[in-house]
Amino acid sequence: MAKFHFHFLSCLALSLGIAPTAVAQQQDTTLYHLRTVEVFGKPAEVFASGSRVTTLDSTFLRTYTSGSLADALQARTPVFLKTNGPSGISTPSFRGTSATHTAVLWNGLNISQPALGQSDMSLLPLSSIGSIAVQHGAAGATYGSGAIGGAVLLNSPTQLEPGFGAEALQEVGSFGRYFSSANARYSGRKMSVALGGYYLAAENDFSFRDYGRIGGPTRRQDQAQVAQHGFTQDVRWQLSQNTRLALHGWYTYANREVPPALGAANTNAGQVDRNLRLMTELNHGSNWGETSLKAAVFNDYLLFTDNSNHSTTDINTYQLQAEQTYTYARRWSLRGGLNLQHFEADVQGYGKQVTEDRASAFLLFRYDPSKRLDLSLNLRQAFVKGYNPAPAPTLGANWLLLEHDQHQLYLKGNVSGSYRVPTLNERFWQPGGNPDIKPEQGWSFETGLRHHYTLGTVQLESELSVYRMLVDNWIQWMPVTSSYWSPRNLQKVRAQGIELSSRATTTRGDWQLAATGAYTYTASEQVKAYEGSQELNQQLAHVPLHKAQLGTDISFRTWTLLGNLTHTGLRYTDNSNASSLPGYTLLSLALHKKFSLAQNQFVASVRSGNVTNRAYTVLENVPMPPRSLAVSLRFVIP
Amino acid sequence: MKKITRFRSYFLSAVFVFGAVALNSCSDDNNNGPTGEYARNGVLISNEGAFTKSNASVSFYSHDSKTVENESFKKVNAPLVLGDVLQHMAQQGERLYLVMNNSGKVVVTNANTLKAEGEIAGLEAPRYFTVLNDDKAYVTEWLGYDPATYAYSNGRVAVVDLKTNTVTKTITVGVQPEQLVIAGGKLYVANSGGKTVTVINTATDAIETSITVNDGPNSLALDRNNVLWVSSQGVKAYDPVDWSVSEENSTPGSLAKINTGSNTVASTLTFSQNAPAPGKLTPNPNGDKLYYVFNNKVWMQDVNASTLATKPLIDRGTYVAYGFNGLGVEPASGTIYAGKATDYASNGWVVRYNPQSGAAVDSFRVGIAPNGFVFR
Repeated sequence: MAKFHFHFLSCLALSLGIAPTAVAQQQDTTLYHLRTVEVFGKPAEVFASGSRVTTLDSTFLRTYTSGSLADALQARTPVFLKTNGPSGISTPSFRGTSATHTAVLWNGLNISQPALGQSDMSLLPLSSIGSIAVQHGAAGATYGSGAIGGAVLLNSPTQLEPGFGAEALQEVGSFGRYFSSANARYSGRKMSVALGGYYLAAENDFSFRDYGRIGGPTRRQDQAQVAQHGFTQDVRWQLSQNTRLALHGWYTYANREVPPALGAANTNAGQVDRNLRLMTELNHGSNWGETSLKAAVFNDYLLFTDNSNHSTTDINTYQLQAEQTYTYARRWSLRGGLNLQHFEADVQGYGKQVTEDRASAFLLFRYDPSKRLDLSLNLRQAFVKGYNPAPAPTLGANWLLLEHDQHQLYLKGNVSGSYRVPTLNERFWQPGGNPDIKPEQGWSFETGLRHHYTLGTVQLESELSVYRMLVDNWIQWMPVTSSYWSPRNLQKVRAQGIELSSRATTTRGDWQLAATGAYTYTASEQVKAYEGSQELNQQLAHVPLHKAQLGTDISFRTWTLLGNLTHTGLRYTDNSNASSLPGYTLLSLALHKKFSLAQNQFVASVRSGNVTNRAYTVLENVPMPPRSLAVSLRFVIP
Repeated sequence: MKKITRFRSYFLSAVFVFGAVALNSCSDDNNNGPTGEYARNGVLISNEGAFTKSNASVSFYSHDSKTVENESFKKVNAPLVLGDVLQHMAQQGERLYLVMNNSGKVVVTNANTLKAEGEIAGLEAPRYFTVLNDDKAYVTEWLGYDPATYAYSNGRVAVVDLKTNTVTKTITVGVQPEQLVIAGGKLYVANSGGKTVTVINTATDAIETSITVNDGPNSLALDRNNVLWVSSQGVKAYDPVDWSVSEENSTPGSLAKINTGSNTVASTLTFSQNAPAPGKLTPNPNGDKLYYVFNNKVWMQDVNASTLATKPLIDRGTYVAYGFNGLGVEPASGTIYAGKATDYASNGWVVRYNPQSGAAVDSFRVGIAPNGFVFR
């Protein structure tokens, strides 16, 4: 197994010690964000100097608007998604960590389901999301509990153009798939309102060889039906020149059948998820900087049923976040804040009502000593009754190392702490919940180079990152007695890897071309055990060593072609690395054509997934769909 | 170092497999004795796998090469999947029967080649399998789980025609029927969710009687005197608040001796400690001693003794919860085989113990959660 040598600390020392004086136009994306954000509130990436942030481009999101966040992350980021069959349940593995180690934030607030401490990415429809940014690596200081492997940042759509606009989409696809969505928005001088809704029904009744039965007969999948719907609502109200109020509402509902593994009895497993998220946000600008107040109430309901289970989880989460950001010219910015969470959990498995309060305080500092260098220093401390999560600091730097002709080369580096407060299930589930479980704590060391090149209309942007991450007290459920399992702090896990990506774009006459390529190598191993005969120095189960992607977007006048090729390498299915699942390569293609009708637009699309009709499984013995086809028509009133 | 030895053992076993295949293809014409990769001097190990993952497997340990081959069923039958939760494995002549608990079936393979030949389908949560003769076998099934009360209804015994691999009759017995044993033309079924052993006439497949024992009879063994031993787990009471086992509210487990002539309980040996449950009764080769698992240790019972052993034979101290997930005794040597399950997410081990001293002799790595052995 390859080992990496990290010169991170020396790089960081170097970058801190040298104060460059050359004056250059900085092209850093973080600054770009600084300039384009609305009057108040900076995206949190500003305080992430030296770390890697991927933004999913809007062309891709618009093409796959009928898909889920899981589809987008799988196709365009290094995140590996453990997809439990065609009907969905998809949990992320980011930089070799487990599903609880990727924080998901919606408009700046963590929305992970508190009982499981994770998010099912297939429940989050792209049609409800305005923009997606992915923070790679530990960022506990900025995003709080669970941001160990990374964080996915979702934001409600923002509306810039005044007036009325609307959009409707209808899609019909293979295996009984129907998707409809519609949204409308109005933006006035003082107020803007946006409403959207979607509906998805899929039979997922594709044919597959059932090797769980002798002879491997061909059979139709009959336990993977999905029904999903939901709506969003965003209202923004400019109360005064310096004060703005926003209300965001997001409701999602999903009723999904869970297919059994090949060979396992069909127990008629199914899951109903209902998530309601409401938040209000007040922003105010004054001489003291920008004040942001967020209050939210979330309700997460989950019902799992099969022939022998009927288990409900119903949790109300109340969140309050207050932030004050002071920015001095373009030199430095300081943000202090407080986050309060209150959970009211009504979970059958706990045998009682459980409530809990959590708090965390954070201080984020960004300093640009020169135009070639930006630094960030962040700190967060969480408080939970009976627990003592370690403070999570971040120190990062981004330095324009070289600038020559059209080339710009940046050196980046970042040391981050992270933590995860145990989930409610890990502590209160009866039997087995462990009230003495310790929070997880992680350290991440990262360095990288970013290269930017411009030649006429050709733009080339590449980034290389290497990281090493150590997570202490990694929590794992274990059989501790012969009658039940219990979570234990067992391990020190070390994840390390390389992330390489490149994107080239150009415009030639009526042609617009873009190509992206990415490769990630992820080695994630348990390196220390506190008790028991654990598996040391073996790749963790369900973490692919290799993942590679190629994407192209080609536009010619009113035509657009999108292609996406994703290779996911071999995954071990057990922690002893005795069995594995073969890697797979999937190709997807989409073609659009725009038609104008007066001032309005029609967009007709044809989309195909798994174009090469590859038989593959993401998890053991759960066959995934063969080639699929979908056609859609979108009507846009600009 | 560990990796190198493992690699070498894989390499050796691979070499051996190829060698054996080559040899077998040469000796096929000779027709003396069974032929096949798994007809050799060795042990087949059933690995139950993780529930719902369909990753049950069969391992084979060869005494000749002293190496283990894992995923033997898959090697022979891929892409066929063995199934979910391999609960029990039984051999009859040229056939090996694999009870797939959460697949609701019994997979029938050739015992010498492990080639899948058929399946006995339509079973509900099958548990244990026993063969009467080349024509007939019995399998226990759990029925009627109610998630609201956590209770099962009465289970049944399916009568299987081994010529057609179909169920010809079902016999309703007690709650959660577990192990079954044939003695003197009678089939004895331990109803682990109740307190009886059902006795079925194997000629008529009708229930003759039922014998009341202590709560939770879960395993059966015949000794050299044709006495049927029954381990009863007792009633485990849990603290309603934290679900820990409440020793004071539990009842003790016991071993009962049943006279198979009169079908009556001759005597009962009751444990002094309340909560741990005895189970996995396994006779030694000449039937004068029985091994069983109690309190995560292995104990030895002299069949003529009138009291329980006071000291365990195998005591690993603080040991993994499923360290004795399976127990077997090799007929030729008397060596005790224990299946040690780790965390159901990684492969388990087979640990071999000296039957006299109870000392661990050696161990080898097998599939997930090994629970049973068929000695070749």
